[in-house]
Amino acid sequence: MFSANRRTLLRATGLVAFATALGTFASAADAQEKIRIGYAISKTGPYAGGAGITTLPNYELWVKDVNAAGGIKLGDKKLPIEVVEYDDRSSSEEAVKAIERLANQDKVDFILSPWSTGLNLAVGPTLNRLGYPHLAVTSVTDKAPELAKRWSNATFWLGTSAQISEALADLLGKLKSDGKIGARIAMVSIADQFGIELSAAGREAFKKHGFTLTYDKTYPMGTQDLQPLLKDAVASTPDAFVAFSYPPDTIALTEQAQLLKFNPKVFYVGVGTAFPLYKGKFAANSDGVMGIGGWNADSPQLKEYLARHKAATGKEPDRWASSITYASLQVLQQAIEKVGKVDRAAVAAEIRSGTFDTIIGKIKLKDGLLQEVWGVGQWQNGEFYALAPASLPGARAPVVPKPQWQ
Amino acid sequence: MTMLVRTSLWCAGLALAVAIVAYPLYANGYYLALGISVLYFTILATAWAMFSGPTRYISLATVAFFGLGAYTAAVLGETTPWPVVLLAAAGVGAVTAAITGLSTLRLSGIYFVIFSFGLAELIRQLVIWYEVNIHKSVGRYLFSAVTQDILYWQLLGLTALVFLVGWLLGRSRYGLALRAIGADETAASHSGIDATRVKLGVFILSATFMAMTGAVMAPRWTYIDPAIAFNPTISFQVVIMALLGGAGSLFGPVLGVIPLVLLFEVLTATLPNHFSIVLGIIFVLIVMVLPNGVIGLFGAGRRHVPAGAPAAAFARTMDDAPLLAVEGVSKSFSGLRAVDGVSFTVAPGEIIGIIGPNGSGKTTLLNTLSGALRPSSGTIRFGGTVLTGLRAHQIARLGLARTFQLVRVMPDLTVAENVATARLFSAPASSSGSDTTGRELLDLVGLGAMHDAPARELTYIDQKRLELARALALRPHLMLLDEWLAGLNPSELETGIALIAKLRERGLTIIMVEHVMDAIRALCGHCIVMNAGSVIARGAPDEVLSDPKVVAAYLGGDDA
Amino acid sequence: MLLVDIILPGLVLGGMYALIALGLTLQYGVARIMNLSYGESLVAAAFGALSLYSGLGLSPLVALLLAVPVAMMLNWLLYRFLLERLMRRGKDRGAQEIDSILVTFGVLFVIQGAMLVAFGGQYYSYSYLSIPLTILGSTLAVNRLVALLFAALVGGAVYLALTRTRIGTAVRAIAVDATAARLVGIDVAALSGLAFAFGGGLVAVGGVLVSMFLTFNAAMGVVFTMKALVVVIMGGVGNVMGALVAGLLLGVVETAVARLVDPGLTLAATYALFLGVLLIKPTGLFGRAAS
Repeated sequence: MFSANRRTLLRATGLVAFATALGTFASAADAQEKIRIGYAISKTGPYAGGAGITTLPNYELWVKDVNAAGGIKLGDKKLPIEVVEYDDRSSSEEAVKAIERLANQDKVDFILSPWSTGLNLAVGPTLNRLGYPHLAVTSVTDKAPELAKRWSNATFWLGTSAQISEALADLLGKLKSDGKIGARIAMVSIADQFGIELSAAGREAFKKHGFTLTYDKTYPMGTQDLQPLLKDAVASTPDAFVAFSYPPDTIALTEQAQLLKFNPKVFYVGVGTAFPLYKGKFAANSDGVMGIGGWNADSPQLKEYLARHKAATGKEPDRWASSITYASLQVLQQAIEKVGKVDRAAVAAEIRSGTFDTIIGKIKLKDGLLQEVWGVGQWQNGEFYALAPASLPGARAPVVPKPQWQ
Repeated sequence: MTMLVRTSLWCAGLALAVAIVAYPLYANGYYLALGISVLYFTILATAWAMFSGPTRYISLATVAFFGLGAYTAAVLGETTPWPVVLLAAAGVGAVTAAITGLSTLRLSGIYFVIFSFGLAELIRQLVIWYEVNIHKSVGRYLFSAVTQDILYWQLLGLTALVFLVGWLLGRSRYGLALRAIGADETAASHSGIDATRVKLGVFILSATFMAMTGAVMAPRWTYIDPAIAFNPTISFQVVIMALLGGAGSLFGPVLGVIPLVLLFEVLTATLPNHFSIVLGIIFVLIVMVLPNGVIGLFGAGRRHVPAGAPAAAFARTMDDAPLLAVEGVSKSFSGLRAVDGVSFTVAPGEIIGIIGPNGSGKTTLLNTLSGALRPSSGTIRFGGTVLTGLRAHQIARLGLARTFQLVRVMPDLTVAENVATARLFSAPASSSGSDTTGRELLDLVGLGAMHDAPARELTYIDQKRLELARALALRPHLMLLDEWLAGLNPSELETGIALIAKLRERGLTIIMVEHVMDAIRALCGHCIVMNAGSVIARGAPDEVLSDPKVVAAYLGGDDA
Repeated sequence: MLLVDIILPGLVLGGMYALIALGLTLQYGVARIMNLSYGESLVAAAFGALSLYSGLGLSPLVALLLAVPVAMMLNWLLYRFLLERLMRRGKDRGAQEIDSILVTFGVLFVIQGAMLVAFGGQYYSYSYLSIPLTILGSTLAVNRLVALLFAALVGGAVYLALTRTRIGTAVRAIAVDATAARLVGIDVAALSGLAFAFGGGLVAVGGVLVSMFLTFNAAMGVVFTMKALVVVIMGGVGNVMGALVAGLLLGVVETAVARLVDPGLTLAATYALFLGVLLIKPTGLFGRAAS
């Protein structure tokens, strides 16, 4: 009798524990005392590398900053942020499920986006259906304008591939007409949507500026040795070397270029150039290297952000998407504060239409897209300054030719 | 009382079925998403176990078919009606499985495991290369109006289908054939099972389900690129879930899927930062505690033995021409002539003995007769058909059965199933009155009482008997016995000799390789003596055994 | 000229593949553990080297002296307290393989989780011996050459140990047939444990050396596991020479395809080569013919 009772009890306890764990007992929302913000991010799997440098630290920093300042202002009250976080394990299906969970179980007020183009697109329809603002910061796709039209809740922040490639082509074109470089470009790209789109747009833009592509190849993700590729690129004697690469390849290409004493006048590598890791590894040799992204390092807000980031997370941010990620969160906060209540549709509309003051300056999206994005940056004296588009405030002059490898 | 229990069980089952079908009507978005995860892994794991469970070929190619299905949907999804897309995905999966299966299935063990992984990677690399160079874009967008409800029901339909097909397969002769292959492929093919074709068929079936799952899931993710569609962790998860649940039975995999999906969920929620460590530890503990998978907790399910041909005879009608004619058969292994120009004929109803010292080529000769080895030269005629070049299962189906020197039963199958394997693909019983059922065959060899025992539990002698019964179930004209009497004690030997004599009385022709000379004397009218691959003497047993050449061969040479 | 420039870098790349695979040859080929956590152990060793280098300024080559014994110890404990039970429990090789796959899958998560807690998900990279060296007109990185050198030396040493010593012969006997080995008085459990631990030591060598020139993060283990499996299987399970040759071959083919055909097809070519080898020789380049 006793044992039977105990077993029933155990079973019941187990069930309760299980149900709790699944999040059935979401906090009862009487008077709102907190703002619940949820996100699912790749802590494991192949995307963990990117999410771990660009996205997650900024989410953590922002929450810390906001809560230190008392929280998000709703009406006349400041509400602190409470975070619910999951690991999407770099899987599209897990990401979708996590969004459903955040919305239905945890009943969070707002959801922050996952990392990578693929995951942002995977959760796009779900966030749209559920009516959450979707700040798809770390997605780079030429479909962005179309997607922004399709999903009125979604906004895109890194520009399109075409914008990035054109910024680079414009910069190189100017250098050519100034007589600083010749007309020969060697281009390699990773066989992933990102590399393909950028190289396709680059091919066209380079042609428009009168460049010849002396070498133009893709390589598969996971290639362990890029030296053969680089040797053929070197043999084509380019004035500029352009690689639309991912972090491990960006590092490997730079390392191999030094070994081969390959010193083109312009050396441009892809994702990862803007990472503090790059500067840490190559030190003085990073000087003069161009890459995707960049920021206006002289801006006092960004200087302060850099210091805060370092203090809070123990490491420097990357110089491309990190500050934009943080800025997008500031936009979210200001939009919520302007609306004054947890009205997700109104907040989403405000994000699209409003003007906001952020660490990267005044932001006003156009058709759901951030227009003013840096395409090319360059390491100059240990800082990754933005070069192009030259029309943007704070653009620096490029150092060309790049100093010789030491 | 039992009536009441049964009725309430039926009611409960029905209620559960209704609850599952109506799930989207009352579950919220998250529970629905969870249900989708469970279903999609259930289909993949069940389809995986359909092939890999019985054959024990651990395939890591799941994601190759899943990804191809997803890609098919991404390519066709926006322009083609949905049922056509699903059929196309199924077709792509099936064709790829057919092509790859043909080359893959001859590998075994770990080689197959890694090959299947390599295959998935190769397909992924080729898709990438195609997309980059031909399509000029790697990612594909698939916008669709599929809601979670519809997705759930589609998956549920596919789940029902995979269980139905799996159940039918298990009941069909192909199911038992597959298990026989998994237990002992050589014995299976000598029982008339075309191992390659059965394996390939089921491999294709399983791949078709995987491809359709991929196609159903693709619209959910809006964006398909090779990294998403061909994510190798899907293959691993499926293997792990199926093995954890128990891959040997139809409902095993789902018992692995449900706890694992829930475990992942609970852990990601409660411990987002230490999830990996805790999951790993729990996983290790589960494996240590549950050696037979989750299904092992419930005891292995009973299996259905397909009836096969209702009655099987073992002596077919025959005429007076030689049943077997062996002409100049040789077999060399990298220069060594194991069998060298052997010729002889066997008349119907005769028992021929093949004797000779160890290593004289007797078993190799039998292997060339039964199709285990292909002769280097010479011809073998069996009742007018040329056997040379035929494969083992074809020869077995023609009515040439054999036993093995080192006894080969299928250890995981029951005694009855072992016998049934030989009747799966044999021609329907002849109308003559000499038909024998499997049970009668087991009675004949003295295993009548062991019908339902797993073959692994039999003693050595009983395994030999079982092997004989299985060979007889082929209804052979000719039986090759390879040292079937070896290792028997005197009284068993007596029974054994009587049994063989009884078979002869029933009209069976027999070739026996044997070292037990008493048996040769008692049974054989005619003998062939082999030494170093060649026939050195032939004739009546007493005659050849006193031949000085034979004595010399046995004693080792010069003294004679 | 181009030929030299293909073969030398190809060998250097192949040396890395062989180096990665050596440990698995022992762990899988001899100890019969299909170790899915193999790549995670390798990355863990890489993190170890990184920490010693950036924290104490210890050269990775010196770090080997520390990493290898530690890794051997940990792997021995893993075998002794977890895997040995499974080996005893499994009634045939198939069952043992399935159990070892399942358990090491759990171990994979534990190691990966520990690394995530310690280092997070982001990429790490440092430079050591990234010095050019020109041989016959082909420029190579010294750190990668060191890896090739180690692969050849360690591989050769293990090969000699396996073929020329008593204990090596016993270990090979286990690889061929554990039951028969037991019958002739070989202590299978102890020697398998030793082989597994030694394999673990070789993993550490691989991890420490590749950390000198590869960018890695905590989630990258599976890449190495799969590469190692491909090399081991292609060479023939349990055959150290086979793994060396297969690794070098893959490296040369990859480089040749990158230079002569299309860099986009390098990985497709290596997998095609791998599958082709298995189709012609179903037990790998140096594998015994299946009975």
